Amino acid sequence: MDKRLLEILVCPLCKGPLHYQREQNELICKADRLAFPIRDDIPVMLEDSARILTDEEVKALH
Amino acid sequence: MIDHQKTVHEQFDPRAQAYLQSPVHAQGPDLLYAQDLVAQAMPPSGVALDVGCGAGHLSFALAHNLSSVTALDSSPSMLSTVDRVAAERGLSKIHTVLGDAAALPFEDGTFCVAATRYSAHHWATPMAAVREMRRVVKPGGYLLVIDVMGEDDWLVDTHLQTLELLRDRSHVRDYSVAQWRTMMRDAAFTEIGYREWPIRLHYESWIQRMSTPANKAAMIRELQTSAPREVRKRLAFESDGSFTVRTGLLWARAKPA
Repeated sequence: MDKRLLEILVCPLCKGPLHYQREQNELICKADRLAFPIRDDIPVMLEDSARILTDEEVKALH
Repeated sequence: MIDHQKTVHEQFDPRAQAYLQSPVHAQGPDLLYAQDLVAQAMPPSGVALDVGCGAGHLSFALAHNLSSVTALDSSPSMLSTVDRVAAERGLSKIHTVLGDAAALPFEDGTFCVAATRYSAHHWATPMAAVREMRRVVKPGGYLLVIDVMGEDDWLVDTHLQTLELLRDRSHVRDYSVAQWRTMMRDAAFTEIGYREWPIRLHYESWIQRMSTPANKAAMIRELQTSAPREVRKRLAFESDGSFTVRTGLLWARAKPA
């Protein structure tokens, strides 16, 4: 993931900040509890393609 | 039944290569004109967003004079094509993002120009997209819209939109210049320029690019031959099914908040 691109990306729903999770290669929106995948280096910023975070995952973010 | 976003995806995802090679898309006076407008309006440090980039022709054109272009589309194969061609041409400043025009995943005030070319006729909620483009441009930033323009004459317009929908089931509509002006004004953009060019659509390649089913291609021909004189004249129907539309370019600037 390009660093400059990472700096300007926000959640498409709430426009809040995203956290890049290197291990799973996902962009996390805490507020909407969504994980947006990065496929072939392309961030997939669609609500329909995002994974809903589990309660455990949300807790672990705090 | 499937939703519109899925329809657009199904229509375009298998056709990236056809769009990369299409002369209507790869060339055109509008592309050169857009390139000049942007080069004159902002310094080489400028950053652009291309909404609905397709095979990336506008992104490639703008990248020559700017420091980076973010290319957004809802089709993964279009974006892979953009990445591949950008790498072939040594354009490391193009970044691809999969997303929806009406819900842009970018911070407020990020770009010097938000641009779109031959994409807006697929937008079911164009007003939402224009508002989003307004949100992501910097104060005093620019909006560039290029698309086939709808017709002011409703008789002609109904025929144009029907031809388009028969050819491509993901077509929503070619918005008219008047409709664009209303949307831009409502999103707090001030128009600073408009140009249009006649674009001849060669029937065979127009149909092949979209893999239009034969029954619908036959309906297109039927619609053309039965169309009233005013429509035939305005859209310049030819004996082989080719016809001429108008590509418009709207250039606007964000009003101060």
